[in-house]
This record gives sequence, C-alpha cells and structure tokens, in this order.
Amino acid sequence: MTYTGTVLRIDLTTGKATKEPLNKDWAREYLGGKGLSIKYLYEELEPGIDPLSTDNKLILMTGPTTGTIVPNSGKLAIAAKSPATGTILDCSIGGHFANELKYAGYDAVIIEGKAKSPVYLFIDDDLVEMRSAADLWGKGAHETEHLIADALGDVITLAIGQAGENLLPMACISSELYRQAGRGGIGAVMGSKNLKAISVWGSGGIEVANIRKVSAALNKIKREDTMTDDNMWAYSDGTPMIVDLSQSTGILPTRNFQEGTFDEYEKINSAAVKSTLKAKKACFACPLACSNYVKKGKTEVEGPEYETLALCGSNCAIGDLEAIIEFNRLCDDYCLDTISAGNVVAFAMELTEKDVHDFGIRFGEIDNFLKMPGLMANREGVGADLAEGVRAMAEKYGGGDYAMQVKGLEIPGYEPRGSWSMGLAYGTADRGACHMRAWPAAVEAFGDIDPYTSEGKAELVIGMQDDNAVKFSAIFCDFWALSTERMAEILNMLLDYEVTAAELTRIGERIYNLARLFNEREGFTKKDDYLPERIFKEKLTTGATEGKVLPREDYDKMLAEYYRLRGWDENGMISDQKKKELNL
Amino acid sequence: MNNILERSGFCLKALVFHAEKCIGCKLCHLACSAQNEEIFNPRLARLVITSCYDREGLIVDGQVCDLCLSCVEACPVGAIVEKNGRLSFLEELCTDCGLCVDICPNQVIVKKDKGIGVCVQCKSCANWCPTEALTFEEVKR
Repeated sequence: MTYTGTVLRIDLTTGKATKEPLNKDWAREYLGGKGLSIKYLYEELEPGIDPLSTDNKLILMTGPTTGTIVPNSGKLAIAAKSPATGTILDCSIGGHFANELKYAGYDAVIIEGKAKSPVYLFIDDDLVEMRSAADLWGKGAHETEHLIADALGDVITLAIGQAGENLLPMACISSELYRQAGRGGIGAVMGSKNLKAISVWGSGGIEVANIRKVSAALNKIKREDTMTDDNMWAYSDGTPMIVDLSQSTGILPTRNFQEGTFDEYEKINSAAVKSTLKAKKACFACPLACSNYVKKGKTEVEGPEYETLALCGSNCAIGDLEAIIEFNRLCDDYCLDTISAGNVVAFAMELTEKDVHDFGIRFGEIDNFLKMPGLMANREGVGADLAEGVRAMAEKYGGGDYAMQVKGLEIPGYEPRGSWSMGLAYGTADRGACHMRAWPAAVEAFGDIDPYTSEGKAELVIGMQDDNAVKFSAIFCDFWALSTERMAEILNMLLDYEVTAAELTRIGERIYNLARLFNEREGFTKKDDYLPERIFKEKLTTGATEGKVLPREDYDKMLAEYYRLRGWDENGMISDQKKKELNL
Repeated sequence: MNNILERSGFCLKALVFHAEKCIGCKLCHLACSAQNEEIFNPRLARLVITSCYDREGLIVDGQVCDLCLSCVEACPVGAIVEKNGRLSFLEELCTDCGLCVDICPNQVIVKKDKGIGVCVQCKSCANWCPTEALTFEEVKR
C-alpha cells in the first residue's frame, strides 16, 4: 500500500502542526491528487467564503503512485477555493516536491489560517518548522528558492513571488524555478496566509510488495507504453510542437483572439525553440522530459511552453523568441501565470488600439511588453488594472465581448471557433477556461473529427474530463496518454485492494461531479458555462478558420447534450439521482 | 588490485555517466534502491545523480562507482571484496567503521543503520535510464 496514511495539518494562526490519519474511505473513492483534495475542500470549506480570507485552506496532495518508480508520477496537486473565479481550484505541479513530501511521511498537507507576519514552512520528516520569511518577502520566487537552499541545503521548495504577496488573481506557485501550479490565483492563497514558501526534505521511502518484480514489470511498461511514438513528442519537441499544428489549423490565438493564425509563427515554433535548446529536463520519475531548458541572448528559461508561446507570443503579436523567453522568465520569477498574463496584456493592447482605454501598450511592442510582468506583479501604473484580470478590466473599461475568459479565468491557447469541442471544454471546465480538464483539440482540430459540428462533442469532452480527473488523482502526468486499463494495472501493483478500469472511470466521474457540486454550492449556474461573445459572433479572417464562428445555437446544443449525458438538469444542476449514483 | 585484474586478462567494465544526456528524472536512483534495498528511496541509491538549478543555471552532475576499488583496499576486515570486476559486501564481517564511506572518491557508498551498500553492478540504473545517460562500459585507468 503506497499511501503513508498520514495528513499533516498546519494552522498558521496558532503555529501548530498536527498529524492525523488520512481518510481511507475518501482515498478509496477519490484516490488522491485532484480528487482527494477537492473532497477535503468540499467537506471542510464553508460555502461563500472569501478565497483570500483565513477561511480558505491550501491543500498539497500526493497520490498512490507518488514516490514510486511508476513513470510520470511526479506530480503534486495543490488546491484551494480560487481567488480568480470563486470556483474549486486544483492545480498540478511537476518537479520533485510530491515525492519528497511522501518520503517525509505525508500523503497531504492542509494549511489553514494566517501567519501574523511572513513565514515559510520547513517540513523535515517529523520536524515541522515555521520560520521567519522577513528576509524573503518582496523577493522573486527564484531568489527565494536560492536563499532557502543557502539556509537549508538539499530541499525542494514551493515559493511565491511578488504576485502572490500582492494577491493577484493570476499569481502562481513556483518550484525549482520553472515549474508552476499556474492557474486560478493559487499563489495568492499562499500570499493571503503570509506564507512565502514551503520546503520539504524526506528521508523515508515507499515500500511495495514484490518490489523487484513490480519494478521489472513497470520498466517493461515504460519501454512499451510510455516511451512510444504517441508520447515521445514530449522529448523530441515538447509542447512548442503545437505552434505549427495550431497555425495550420487556424486555432493559434493571435492579437487577443482576433485571428487564428500568426504571420510570424515560424519565429516562435518548435524549430525556433530547439535552436536555443541547452538541455532536456524531466520531473521526478518521468522518462519523457518535456521541458526544454533554453538560452537566447542574455536570457534563459525552462520553457517556453506552447501556452506561453501562444498567449504571450502570437496573442500579443510578439514574434521575437528572445522577448518571449524573457517575459516567461520574468513571469516565473514574479509568479504570474503566463496564460492569464498573456491574455491581459493582449486585452490591454486591443483596448488601447480600439481607443477604449489607453494602457500605453499596442500589439507587437516588445519594450512595453517586457515591462508588464513587473508592473502587474507590483500593481504599479497600468499594471494595477492588468493585475485584476480581463474580466475586471472589462467591468471597469468595457470590451467585455472580447475579454477572453470563462468564469473569470483567461482562455488557453486553442481558438474555439476552429475547435468547437475546445469551446465546450472551456465552458464546462471546473476551474474556468482550462485546457487540462479536456483537450479534445488533439483528436478534433488536430485529428480526424470535424471541428465545425456540435455532433458528438459532448460525449468526447465528458470522456476526457472523467479520464483526466482520475488520471490527475492517481497521479499521472497528462503527457503519458495511458489508458484506464493501464492505470488499473499499475494501481493494482501498489494498492492492497483491486480496481478495474471501469471503477476508475467511475471515480473520474465522481470527482468531476464533486467539483461541479462545489461550484453549484458557490452559486454557479448555466450562464457561467458560456464563452465570450467574440467566439459566437466575430468571424475569423485568416487561414483555415477564415469565416468561422462557433454559432451560439450550436454551443447551446452541445451544452444541452453535455448536461443530459452528465445526468444534470437543463440548468446544469446535478440531479439527485446522479448524486446518489456517485455517492455524493 | 588493478594489476591483478589486468593480469588475469579480465576486461574491467563499470558504470559511466553522461551528463549531457541526463534529464534528471531520478529513475536510476529508484531502480537502484528497489533492486538493492527493496524500497523506493532515492537516498539509498548507490549512485548520486543531480540535476538542479543554482544561481548560475542548470547544474547536472553524477557520481557512480567506477570500480576504483579504494573501498576494497581501505576495508580493514575484508568486508568488501571484488571478484571478476564486481563488488560484494559481506555484512557479517563489517564492523561499521565507516572507512569505506569516507574514502570513496565518488561518495556512492550508502551508510545504513547496520552495514553499508556498495554498487554491485546490477545495472538496474542503466536498464531504467530512459536516455542512455548511464552506460556500462570498459573503464580505463
């Protein structure tokens, strides 16, 4: 059994840390990671709390594969109520924190309350220290990690930068400089608790019955199912390979989603990124190594990922790779989510060009572009407005039809007018516009399915959402396209009970419904499942998507079918029967 | 000792680490600890591969047993022996003096509560390495 069976609960208000047993029944129903952290939050958070108040809780959750040799098991879920959206929020971060936490003896950490002054936590096996962060507050995440390493040596750290301290709804949590729990303002939750960083060091290990046999079986699986053509794009290119795919299919967000192709895409595509590559880098226990450590000119970063290239590149009409890399590095250091950051800068550019409000920045202006991360993170000058996200900017200045967000979360790098299933995926994602809950573009716009029809899209999206929900709970990385059958096979090597693929799919469905139930309890309704008007009304003008919109009636149809197949009513509320069926 | 190996005509093979290929996944550490300690614990691995960032950028470094045999020579009770280019540890002889741990130039001998762990060239690490950053090659002296 690969759970430690122990949850560490830390109350920052009193400075007390206590151990408690993991709720085994919940672990059976929700596994770990995404699912189990949502379960804890659903049970422990009062409805309607302010996400930035002491009432919110921050949960770090591992899973049953964490710390073992299972390929692509190096992820940690970090969850809280979202400051950006007010929805449930679970993020997934790679690196080496999750395994280290497990080796320290914990399946999860639940952080409550608020410290009187800035602190950071050091979890050293049984020893849990709350240390002063007076010298770290005000510093970027990068210097914070370096200073903690100077003090504590060989530890793994989750840190926030200035964006988290200043409670930006796009503040992320960073680890090992370039890994992020990126979305929904999870970093602001840390900031609101006066918590600058969490460091961990664990001396223990994970025992598994028949470990040599299990290892040999897993090595075979690694060779025959992980390191295959389906997944090795991660090593050969990483996510930048999507730039060419999006460009050719006309779904590369350009100039704040005004167009779906970018004239200068060849300056920011995988070939361009590869020309700056210094090393490939992996998370713990990952053979795929999607990360590209790059250097160009005077700047370097582990990245830029596709989302950054799209939202901070084409979407801002920035065709200069060095500028994107520097923007990426700045965002990582300040701890800004690059998807949201790229969106707000692009929105400010469009509002300026349309004379709605002068933010002093226009499409393609590199010098101004590079000033934005600092201005946003510190809420200085125009950054004070941008810091609040596109929805708040639109409420203040207008342009709501092209403030590209769902539920307050800015839209990732796939244009829904050329991938209708992505539109539905954004609309129904539990934390607002997100491509990680379902990424149907892979088989639709980039595959064989007609992107311009509502037919079959609801079923496609639901299947992916449920599969990913269980995948991110087990926990596996998104980039291993493994089947639930394979997932069951692996979990059965680690657990003291048997699971089937069908049961895992049911767990995924349960998790997705519980997330929905959390949002329902917060007052979210059908109207919150809609996309910005631009997607429904404005025709794209270039490339493969020239002349395309996602007609509202088609979206209505997809959404209605989605609710029906989910067992929700016509207003998107979970039926009592479905709740009973899933033991919610 | 090396002379004995050479005289016997034995081809000395040992682990070699190629930093430029390493992705820092630690699968080698896990494979080693699983095979030799029956637990997944990277700190019990008989090799030390690191890939992390300091203020200067990415630092990739690796230490593996290159069969220098310093430990064999240092052990006062003969608890580490080499046979056909392979080390083995005789726990019943070990006095836990720690000399071998201190003398190992690559710092890849694991100190345990009782006894030590040396690389026995089981090749688990190389078998798991996804990028051939660990290979088993003839070593020159």
